[in-house]
Amino acid sequence: MKIIQNYIYRFIFLLTLITSSFSSNSIEVIEILGGKASQIPIAITPFNEEIKNIDLEKMHKVIANDLERSGLFTSLDTSGISTIPDSDMLINFSNWSALQAQFLVVGKIITIQNKLTTRWSLIDIYKEKTVLSMEFSGSKKQYRAIAHNISDLVYKKLTGSPGVFHTRITFVKKKSEKIYGLYVSDYDGFNQRAIVNSSQPIISPRWSPDGKKIAYVSFEKKKPVIYVQDLTTGKRVLVANFKGNNSAPAWSPDSKKLAIVLTYSANSQIYIINSDGSGIKQLMRTRSINTEPAWSPDGKEIFFSSDRGGNPQIYKVNVEGVSDVNRVTFEGKGNLSPSLSPDGKLLLFLTQDNGKFRVAVQNLSTNQVLKLTKGPHDESPIFSPNGHMILFTYKDYGKTTKIGTVSVNGLKVTPLRVGSEAILESSWGPITNN
Amino acid sequence: MKQSLLATMLMSSIIAGCSSTDLKESMGLNAPFPELTSQTAQLTPAAMDELASNPLLTERSIYFGFNKYDIKSEYSDMLAAHAEFISKYNVAVSINGNADFRGSHEYNLSLGQKRSVAVGDSLNSLGIGNNNVETVSYGEENANQECTGSACDQDRRADIVYVGE
Repeated sequence: MKIIQNYIYRFIFLLTLITSSFSSNSIEVIEILGGKASQIPIAITPFNEEIKNIDLEKMHKVIANDLERSGLFTSLDTSGISTIPDSDMLINFSNWSALQAQFLVVGKIITIQNKLTTRWSLIDIYKEKTVLSMEFSGSKKQYRAIAHNISDLVYKKLTGSPGVFHTRITFVKKKSEKIYGLYVSDYDGFNQRAIVNSSQPIISPRWSPDGKKIAYVSFEKKKPVIYVQDLTTGKRVLVANFKGNNSAPAWSPDSKKLAIVLTYSANSQIYIINSDGSGIKQLMRTRSINTEPAWSPDGKEIFFSSDRGGNPQIYKVNVEGVSDVNRVTFEGKGNLSPSLSPDGKLLLFLTQDNGKFRVAVQNLSTNQVLKLTKGPHDESPIFSPNGHMILFTYKDYGKTTKIGTVSVNGLKVTPLRVGSEAILESSWGPITNN
Repeated sequence: MKQSLLATMLMSSIIAGCSSTDLKESMGLNAPFPELTSQTAQLTPAAMDELASNPLLTERSIYFGFNKYDIKSEYSDMLAAHAEFISKYNVAVSINGNADFRGSHEYNLSLGQKRSVAVGDSLNSLGIGNNNVETVSYGEENANQECTGSACDQDRRADIVYVGE
């Protein structure tokens, strides 16, 4: 297993490895051309089950889609295999080896009244041995949840990192000209439900790191103000309604504070406030725009976008004892919407490239930039809680804004199916049950 | 890892299900600054009539060039008329800045604000104090989301809106 883990790490941290010779201010941009060979080939066979509901996406499909979205796996087509095993006792290793499968997932689903029991195994084809073998139970409604939990365990076993397939996301949907909804759903867009409905725009939803609350900006007071809504009780608090605009909430890593942006003095400036709306203080003051604050995972620095140099670029500043502001991005006409990977090593942002807005990551130790999406109107990028995927919005044929994921290695872009309406902004919830 | 652990995992995802909030319900709001309207007079019928009849006051939008935040001289008569009106009736005005849809929602909010502030500064220079003016931004939220080229020009503007209109 160690070898496989190293194999994957090499790929994920491609940025680090390729560019260690660059000085900290030089920028090297890489375009991804290939690399499919680095993905782990895995065969996920249809589980032996009695449920014949054709509308339901089958469990093996849910698992295959989960693993593929990460960009680290290729799932192999098993339709040519005549006999599908449903347990690890019945594996014909030479068949699977001929299919180039490195790993195999097989399973069986038993339904008794409202209860589902799934017995499944992960098998290493090269070593001809069972790696995991488990039994999961739940209600019929938890069909997809069980599949996501299997995906998480396979992911953890083969990559060494936690899977995020049980996590949730939040996004803003424009249902019609005057109807906006803030939604939460499973990470893959399923099981969506509105937590706020409004006749006015909602932007900048941000899930608290402890998973309990969502901060967002609403225009319902005929100007942007910031609410924090508790997900368990549905109650919300107006945390910022100062003169001018109140926007761009960013949770501190301990979920106790928010960096916010006010235009109380004139142009957008960054402040820090307790998450109940008390104890406001200004982080710094300039005449130029300072906005889109994002905390480093250690809570010591805030990254932000600013036009102090003319075009928007990303800078960083210490939260305590502010004095030095350091510019972080140098490449391209403009860079905005910063956020950090969970390990703090990668900066995620939008880069303006020949009039196109594309999602990019910059390795903060080498400053190498990797453009992950093609644009032209990509926005709202945010890391998954394991840092392996990025949620973002894009314009479908220049028209309706859609939502999708891109793997951090840039190899896999997957649209999320959340309906035909425009999706304006999004955020990814934390890993909650580990 | 057997059934019991999974049961815990699945249970936690059920419990974490969230409640819904409808915006119509009344809530305790902790606005830390007084509402702008409380500091100034309401629009009287006479003021409303003047707003509707003076052609300079029915002009409400100031347009800006691409990546530009300076106010063109063609707007000086219009802004002078609005300054005179605000001062005469001691009314409050909100300057709503806008940006075209390209780029992030938050950065566009800041760009719209820059245009709003430019108009606010101009009113300040005409003798209107900040008690009567609030500069805010709608960013790209009212912008044409599908425009290309010069069709996006109309979204780079600031609008004058009287409180109580």
